[in-house]
Amino acid sequence: MTWHPPRDLVERYARGRLDPVLTMSVESHLARCPACRAAVPYEEEWLTASWERIEDLVDRPRPRLATRLLCRFGVPEHVAVFLAATPALARGWLVAMAGVLGFAVAAARLSAQDGPGAADALIPFLVAAPLLPLAGIAAAYGRHVDPAYESQAATPLAGWRALLLRALAVLCCAVALTGAATPLLPGPPGLAAAWLLPALALTAAALALSTRFAPPVSVAALAAAWSGAVAAGPLFAGDLLLAFSPGAQALYALAVPALLALVYLRRARLDPGETR
Amino acid sequence: MTAPPATVAVTVRDLAKRYGRRVVLDGVTLELGRGVTGLLGPNGAGKTTLLRCLATTLAPDGGEVRALGLDPADSGERVALRRRLGYLPQDPGFYPHFTVFELVEYVAILKELTDRVTRHREVRRVLGEVDLADRAQAKVRRLSGGMRQRLALAQALLGDPELLILDEPTVGLDPEQRMRFRALASRLGESRTVLLSTHQTEDVAALCERVIVMKDGAAVFQGTPGDLGAVAAGRVWLSDRPPTEESLFWRTADGRYRTLGARPPAGDPADPGIEDGYLLLLGGSSEREAS
Amino acid sequence: MYRFLARRREPPPIGPAGDDAELLAAVAAGRTEALRLLHQRHAPWIRGRLARRCADPDTVDDAIQDTFVAVWRGAHRYRAGEGEVAAWIWPIAIRRLISTLRRTGPAPPATPYDEARLVTESAEDAVLVGVEHGDLGTAVARLSPELRAAIQATVLDGLTVKEAARLLGIPEGTVKTRVMRAKARLRGYLA
Repeated sequence: MTWHPPRDLVERYARGRLDPVLTMSVESHLARCPACRAAVPYEEEWLTASWERIEDLVDRPRPRLATRLLCRFGVPEHVAVFLAATPALARGWLVAMAGVLGFAVAAARLSAQDGPGAADALIPFLVAAPLLPLAGIAAAYGRHVDPAYESQAATPLAGWRALLLRALAVLCCAVALTGAATPLLPGPPGLAAAWLLPALALTAAALALSTRFAPPVSVAALAAAWSGAVAAGPLFAGDLLLAFSPGAQALYALAVPALLALVYLRRARLDPGETR
Repeated sequence: MTAPPATVAVTVRDLAKRYGRRVVLDGVTLELGRGVTGLLGPNGAGKTTLLRCLATTLAPDGGEVRALGLDPADSGERVALRRRLGYLPQDPGFYPHFTVFELVEYVAILKELTDRVTRHREVRRVLGEVDLADRAQAKVRRLSGGMRQRLALAQALLGDPELLILDEPTVGLDPEQRMRFRALASRLGESRTVLLSTHQTEDVAALCERVIVMKDGAAVFQGTPGDLGAVAAGRVWLSDRPPTEESLFWRTADGRYRTLGARPPAGDPADPGIEDGYLLLLGGSSEREAS
Repeated sequence: MYRFLARRREPPPIGPAGDDAELLAAVAAGRTEALRLLHQRHAPWIRGRLARRCADPDTVDDAIQDTFVAVWRGAHRYRAGEGEVAAWIWPIAIRRLISTLRRTGPAPPATPYDEARLVTESAEDAVLVGVEHGDLGTAVARLSPELRAAIQATVLDGLTVKEAARLLGIPEGTVKTRVMRAKARLRGYLA
């Protein structure tokens, strides 16, 4: 090629200041001439910004399955990446939770009978279901359960924000799994769903206690208290389902907002750097 | 003790911490300025506890800390401090099933880098700083000890913090990596405050502008590495035969005996080094008072 | 940037001096730095060319991003014998622009040629038109903007009728009629 368009013509082309015919001429020349292509002007910042967007797309790891799922449900991308690291959301935990639920459902179905005793078969399920999110919270955040805890504790998100985010994710997960198992149960549907309010109340109580004690300690205490409360029904009142009666449910419903308010007021104490 | 550092970034007054009955920090008072400061001390001297208090992951029982003008006892100022802080814990845990990239990205999210493109750029930058860029997709559980240490260092560098607290950063590094770490740390120290704990007096001699020696939960020395050597001035001796008295001595490469403290029979005075000063400080205060 | 530890395995060097085909081969081997060099070299003119076809700079930037991501994924399909890399990238770029338009809805028409800012054709410019297009150039110049755009999209950019319709934001039938009318006019002018 012996002829090249003058530089200012290429610049005018890039700025869209050429008439259509000249535009076509310059374009057909550019298609064949590396030297003139290199002369097309550009802003350095534009090129850098454009490259950064591309680099991030081509050179990034594929998000984890949990991250992709959470994003699918509308969780912001950075929150999804954060939650995917929750130890209590690891596959082992999910399998364990599903296993417990499976056993409880199987037990209920095997012992199910017609007549007035039908509800009794649900008891193992109803007792176990609220304990699942509780166990998950014990394993969600803290020095003893999270191997990377110490590095995280020095970051701005550490403390109540990290704990509450993870607890919420664990709770949603447990409630979704348990909710999916509920229709498989025999017995009256209203009773089969009686686990939900105790689960929420116990979770809120675990968070509230965690502002004073380590989460595993709080959870262990609550699990013992819950088992005791369920056992107290038949022992003292002669009612197997006292802990799930409408009166008890009303109590749970009142406890949830009260406990959450307490957690909010004492949230600073969930921080490892807070003076106790 | 010499004059305090020119620009004070961190002040610690009478810091105290106990676990049950065991007193770990017993009134630590010190000042840190810009540049690299080394924290020397034997195991159990309270180095890690002090660093954790400074890194806001542990609340002291008494005393006060001011870092970058902020008070970590106040929850709001603590968060503000964490935004400007990088911390390499003594035992940095990992999620073994994560990749290198994922792990650093996770900490980047905790450091509030919410925008994906900015965050990924920052993750790549710190991985490049510790030369793990080509291991970005490797699972953490497959990394060697030295690589894990560099990975932990990478997460501490996220966000270009003004205050870096590094608990034994050179553990697990081979000599070449250790040398490169020194270059990185001294470059960081040009404009930031770096506090690193170590057992190695060579690390301190090679890169620290200031050194703090901890013993039994207190800072027993603060000054330049030269000052630390000067502690041993007039108390380092070389002799052909081992000293008869009960004193600290060892046989050196040239076959002579190096003695710290009282002059052994037929001992020639020798030039003191950092290690001599450090050992004498740890050796007991009674001897020091006698001199 | 300071390196904590020197790289032990140096991959074959690729520098700004490397030719496009070498860079593309390195891209196919997964080297992002090669893609960066290609981007540096080709993004400016592709942007210029796309901007002549779509007035919205954000759409153009999105198309450029998609183009280089497609180059990253498809670099192994390039064969050196098939001609210049630039000629290989351009069809990707124009098609990425069309897909971007499909996502974002029809684009505003390309910058209308501003008669007030009309650049006087210098003798040199006139020569250029002659060199590149000969009589065809002058003939195309006489077409109305609509017919010219239709001819440009289908003949010069090599798009299908469907793609051209999307780019120009008009129905496919209209593209077909305009191309036919434009060809008839050109035949008339050149006869």
